[in-house]
Amino acid sequence: MNEEKIKGGEREVKINNMAGKKQIFTPVSEKEITRAIVDGFARQFIEYVESDCLIVGGGPSGLMAGRDVALKGVKTLIVERNNYIGGGFWIGGYLMNKVTVREPGQKILEELGIPFERAVKGLYVADGPHACSKLIAAACDAGVKFANMTIFDDVVLRKGNRVCGVVVNWTPVQALPREITCVDPIALEAKFVVDSTGHDACVVKKLEERGILKTEGFGAMWVERSEDLVVEHTGEAHPGLIVTGMAVATTYGLPRMGPTFGAMLLSGRRGAQVVLEKLKKK
Amino acid sequence: MNDFVRTIPSAIELYEEGNLEGLNITELGQYLEEKTHIPFHIRGNLYKKCSKKKLEEVAKEIARIRVRDPGKRFVSSVPFQAEVDYEKRRIRDPNWKIFGILYEGVLYQKIVSGLIFKGGVVFKRCIIFFTNQLFGTWDRDDRRYHARVSLYGFPNLISVTGLVEAPAKPKEYYLKRQMGLPVEMLKEEYQDRFLDHGDLRMTEVLKGYAMQALFFHIFGDPFCEDPDCRLFNSHWQEEVLHAQMNGQFEFCQRHEVILKAIKDRSM
Repeated sequence: MNEEKIKGGEREVKINNMAGKKQIFTPVSEKEITRAIVDGFARQFIEYVESDCLIVGGGPSGLMAGRDVALKGVKTLIVERNNYIGGGFWIGGYLMNKVTVREPGQKILEELGIPFERAVKGLYVADGPHACSKLIAAACDAGVKFANMTIFDDVVLRKGNRVCGVVVNWTPVQALPREITCVDPIALEAKFVVDSTGHDACVVKKLEERGILKTEGFGAMWVERSEDLVVEHTGEAHPGLIVTGMAVATTYGLPRMGPTFGAMLLSGRRGAQVVLEKLKKK
Repeated sequence: MNDFVRTIPSAIELYEEGNLEGLNITELGQYLEEKTHIPFHIRGNLYKKCSKKKLEEVAKEIARIRVRDPGKRFVSSVPFQAEVDYEKRRIRDPNWKIFGILYEGVLYQKIVSGLIFKGGVVFKRCIIFFTNQLFGTWDRDDRRYHARVSLYGFPNLISVTGLVEAPAKPKEYYLKRQMGLPVEMLKEEYQDRFLDHGDLRMTEVLKGYAMQALFFHIFGDPFCEDPDCRLFNSHWQEEVLHAQMNGQFEFCQRHEVILKAIKDRSM
């Protein structure tokens, strides 16, 4: 027999199974679960079809940029092609799950409550899973919303070739033959788009494909110098398009960086500053 | 070599760009004057007298001469606004320390020349420009760009950063780095065998390069074949340190004689 009583104005049901033992979870039917998923997804998706800041790529620089802009109350959506968020921040070099940052990158680790230790002077090391999950949580807590398993397909351009959004599709669609899945993509609009897609620089490359700008590709690895240069070159590469992280190196032909993440975090932060300044002017 | 190609300059003018960590430019000037009796003047930051408009033009020109791929011959391209903005910030800030971009050396020299010699090249003064940025020149033999410490001409360019980055470090350094040893550890282990940024030996070493610039200005030939002479054209860090600090003598006999002749004439 199920017990039913009114507690605090709400109906509380305690369910007993056939043997008379209490069940742990409240019984909910499959249709209600489906409705909850569809409804929750659809409400968020409809709301974020138009955002203030749309970040393509949920790696460390995209997450950092998203977290910082969302903290200021900016409506922010991160589009990520994988199921998981975090990009390469889960692991350091050579599949080893320790991530390193050079000074002053550790200040951001401190700010996010990520434990770390000093490796040598000016170099700090943290656990990849701990660092990455904290960064994702910080972005979520700040109010960033995510569209994962969603792949960037194209850019939305307006007058003067200003970037005003992106065209996206489900990630699995690209893995299927066209004869089977002819799934047209859809478009999302935003006041500013951020390319945080790493070395691929997908958004910038799409503009290059259209003959709007020309990238240089990244140079040889030079950890010591590339971090400064990546942060210094972070900014608006084309009207409406801000570039952060390793996409900066690809866009401007800067040296490759290697397994240090300080510049990703600081570049994300710089990208967020640029977005906030431009939103203020708009 | 005893016949001067050009007249001895009436003065040596020292210009600088960016934060030249480790270089005491006054001490370097005094050394040149002591060795040659040619007076020196410190002209300071190259860009300090440029108008805002001129700085913007220069930033654009410098952004245009970035070597994108050291394996390919330089082709000028239209720079991104972000690259121009980067150069603008860099040349406006005398404390700028960031480097890592390779510029086309000959074109870089042309830009600097345009800022110093406003009415055409003047041979009466020997101009030496010290930068904290990297420049390179195309090597026709192996068909790629190489970072350089110096590029002699009108003006002479010397890269303080290039002095650390261009001459090769000991082979063991690269082998151990490939094995994954941190750069910081290797710097500690090999500090006696190569120069680092902000190195206390920097001024002493750069005196030799400034002297090479002066020899180029007067004779058109800055180098000596003797690895103990300060005019030796070093390709390895160990050669640099040997020629500039640990050689048997400061200048070989031949160059000592020439220096004496310069000194006697310019008194």
